[in-house]
Formats: sequence, C-alpha cells, structure tokens
Amino acid sequence: MAKRKSIIKIKPRKYKVGDIVKVDFIVIHPMETGMRKDKKTGEFIPAHYINDVKFYFDDELITKLVVWETVSTNPYFSINMKITKPGVIKVVYKDNMGEVNEKSKKVKPKG
Amino acid sequence: MKRRNFIKGFMSVPAIAALGSVGISELLAKESPKKPKGKNAMSFKKALEIVTNKKGAKDSDKVKLTVPEIAENGAVVPVKVSIDLPIEEVKSIHILTTKNSNARAVDVFLTPKNGKAYFATRIKLGGTQEVVAIAALKNGNFIKAQKKVKVTIGGCG
Repeated sequence: MAKRKSIIKIKPRKYKVGDIVKVDFIVIHPMETGMRKDKKTGEFIPAHYINDVKFYFDDELITKLVVWETVSTNPYFSINMKITKPGVIKVVYKDNMGEVNEKSKKVKPKG
Repeated sequence: MKRRNFIKGFMSVPAIAALGSVGISELLAKESPKKPKGKNAMSFKKALEIVTNKKGAKDSDKVKLTVPEIAENGAVVPVKVSIDLPIEEVKSIHILTTKNSNARAVDVFLTPKNGKAYFATRIKLGGTQEVVAIAALKNGNFIKAQKKVKVTIGGCG
C-alpha cells in the first residue's frame, strides 16, 4: 500500500473556542478517469481515483464526501468546522483500488 | 479562383473561433460518441434525478457559487459553494457538471458540527459547460445555482 502525502491546514492559524474555521485537506493522488490513453502504448490507463473522504473530530463524523473522478489531480477539499474544544482532526480517505489512508492534526484553540 | 477559395476557407476559421462557446460545444458534442464511456458515466439529467429524487431543484440566490468565468486550463477549475442558511437546515451539497461524461463531481454530507454550509474543491471540465451546485434542505426541498465556465483547453483527456 502506497503511502500518500497529504496535508491538513486550518485557517486562520490562530483561533479560539467558538470560532468557525476552514479545514483544508490536500492529498497527492493521480485521480485517473480511466478515459485517458497512454501516449506510448495507446492503451487506456485504468481508473484510479479517491471515492470516499471522511472528516472526523475526536472520532465524531463531521463531514462525509462522496467523490467522483471529475475532481482534479491532487484533490483539494475545504470545509468549515466549529471549534468546541481541543482535540484531533482525522481525515480518512479511500480510493477505488482499495487503498485506505488517514491523516490527523491537533486542534489547539487559544483563549 | 483557387486562391479566393483558400482565403475564404482561411477566413472562416476565425469566424468559428469568434462564435466561441457555441461552435466549440457543437464540435465537442459531435466528437463525444467516439470517446469511451467510463464505468461511472452518467448524464446530467439522470444525475439530477438521482440527487433530487425526481423532484427537481429551484433556482435560489441563497446558494452562492463561485467559479471562474473563463478557465484557461480545464483540468483545474476551482469551485466554491456557500449557502446562506443556518447549518441545521442544510443536509447536503452536490456539485454537478452538465457535459462531463460523469456529471457528478462531489456529494458533501454536512452535519451541524460544520457551523456553516461551505465547501470548496477543484474539478476537471471537459469543455465549456455549466457547473451546478444543488443544496438539499432538511424540509425536503432542493435549491440550486448554476454558472457557465468557458474552457479554452480541455480537461478530461
């Protein structure tokens, strides 16, 4: 299972309890549609795309995304979240080839 | 005489280009049957039926859809949707395209923990077409907003 690079960013960087922040998630992934041809061999490149992304905060589901191959290479998803307490954001993502990966980031509200 | 015909032919190329969206979209429509259909191929009409449960969606200014008017590269088109309603009333957001072979892009299922109904991503567009954002509300209604994006280079190879 290939290990994929991914980033979670919280914007703005300084936030308090009760703020609504933006949670950006970017993952390095080819997102092949299955309709593109290999220029050298002339064969179709098999479809390979992320189809399921789930955002958790302390094991509670915040948002569920159903993703199709229409989404660009190296997908970027941005959602809003209300900060209620310190905790951990966890993003679990799966693709159509059965790869399952996750990424987490600590939430530390100030003040 | 030959030279005249040649010049006429040459002149008509910019004319087609000037027609812009209409000319290009027609060409794409003609080419599309040759392309293979992906496993998830679905027309916009069918996708709309599935998303809205055959109810259809009403245009509303509560849905704010931000897309570029002209996308230089169809492979990366930023899409931003925010809905001017309390989060408790919004159940999900769906992003659809009108002419991609798979009309569906992303389905977002929100919970009250989001605080605000907002979603942003980047999608591929195979040509000049419309991006449609549909919001499913808790009361069973659907509202939508749609905007045209002019693509100068194709995205879905």
